[in-house]
Amino acid sequence: MLKTTQLHAYHSEHAKMTEFAGYDMPLWYTTTKEEHITVRNGSGIFDVSHMGRLEVSGERSTEFLEGLLPTQVSQQTIGKAFYTLLLDDGAGIIDDLIVMRTGESRYMVVVNAANAQKDIAHMTEHMPGSGVEMNDITASSVMIAVQGPDSANSLQPLVDVDLKGLKRFRCSEADAMGNHALISRTGYTGEDGFEIVILGPTNDDPARGLEVWEKLSETSRPCGLGARDSLRLEAGFPLHGSDIDQDTNPFQADLSWVISSGKTGYVGSGRIAELKPLIPGSVRKGLVVDRGIPRHGFEVKDDSGRAGVVTSGTYSPIIEKGIALCRIDVRDSNAGTKVTVDIRDEAQKALVVKTPFYDEKLYGWRRLSKGN
Amino acid sequence: MKLQGFDIPDDLFYTKEHEWARRQGPAIRVGITDYAAKTLNDVVYVTLPKVNEKVLQFKTMGTVESIKAVSELYSPVSGTIVRVNSGLESHPELVNKSPYDDGWILEVKAPDFDSEQGGLLGAKAYSSHLEALLKSQ
Repeated sequence: MLKTTQLHAYHSEHAKMTEFAGYDMPLWYTTTKEEHITVRNGSGIFDVSHMGRLEVSGERSTEFLEGLLPTQVSQQTIGKAFYTLLLDDGAGIIDDLIVMRTGESRYMVVVNAANAQKDIAHMTEHMPGSGVEMNDITASSVMIAVQGPDSANSLQPLVDVDLKGLKRFRCSEADAMGNHALISRTGYTGEDGFEIVILGPTNDDPARGLEVWEKLSETSRPCGLGARDSLRLEAGFPLHGSDIDQDTNPFQADLSWVISSGKTGYVGSGRIAELKPLIPGSVRKGLVVDRGIPRHGFEVKDDSGRAGVVTSGTYSPIIEKGIALCRIDVRDSNAGTKVTVDIRDEAQKALVVKTPFYDEKLYGWRRLSKGN
Repeated sequence: MKLQGFDIPDDLFYTKEHEWARRQGPAIRVGITDYAAKTLNDVVYVTLPKVNEKVLQFKTMGTVESIKAVSELYSPVSGTIVRVNSGLESHPELVNKSPYDDGWILEVKAPDFDSEQGGLLGAKAYSSHLEALLKSQ
């Protein structure tokens, strides 16, 4: 039996549904391409209620997270949201996550749906005997991502905080149509946007989350997991389970920027210190292919026979070419390196590129911080 | 005829894998059905074989790709490819917009079509096949 989010009734009426991480989720409402382009040019909404949401609180909560995360948690002021990693003792990536500091000793931890149970087990294992409480509020809350250059205009009329004043990677508690909510200026599309956790409704009353969703749908296009995946790929964001996993360390994942320099004493920190001076064998990079669409598992080669592998690939509606994230030999990882990708027995020319794949003067949140 | 919003023209032959075939002058024109096109959702790439290549009935002849997925194309007939729809290279979305006309995929010189027809479905049989498939989902 598949799990459902509180917005399921809307999706099953309007969308083509698919299974994802044990949930029955919308794949697309009209077409993935239309939804994708709307988010780059206007505003789209995504039900991301399947993502795991854990409330961590208690006098020792900062100390607890400090011992788990490579990010210096104590330096994150109240109202900050940050992207970080959960590592194992060998510095393998258990999951990537967003943590919001909502109070002096209060955090909201948002994790991948597919990893939630594993993450909870790992966190529980490292929890001190007292002084920390962790509540899984996934089922009793709704989470909606509002993404795109027009997202602030779409969301503003529903909430009582000034969204213009909420900077990127900041969060704030708010009232959203009479519901207690947590809003952060974050997302997984590369665009400006917000994620709103509606804490008010319970599973017994999905009507309140639905009311917010339907109100937003008047000014933002509902988008499914298809567009969520193509947007995050075009932005160059890794998907845990495809591009990064527990066999990947932060250096190979191209995520070493997450590690606060000089920090010690967290799970995996010993191995991080050992790995830091070494050159990783392979790293995560972007590829643009001349013809065809690269897919997960396709082989990447250079002239000397060195190889890599596509970890996720799709068609980019913005640059109108096949794009991929790949794991590639570090010697081939400079932007501009020419390689080939085997697409159904034909070697197609491909170029190693920096991500995002789109022109940041035209797309993505950075364009907004410049012109307007 | 129509089944749950999917067009199924009466005068075509169908495979269970959702390709269609139709006589077009001396050749057999081949494409994918409305159901296949709608299920793929947004065709963004079509890999076609080349003219003069041989195809075999029910064997792979190319791929159709959406943003999310790759779908194999199976030839409804055996023979030699005489034309491919080169318009699909720059406009793969024609497969969605017009699966039975502008979105055709290729044409095959198929000397055995008369006998191979027996292995294909008529509109009615394809409709029943699709109905059963939709029910099982």
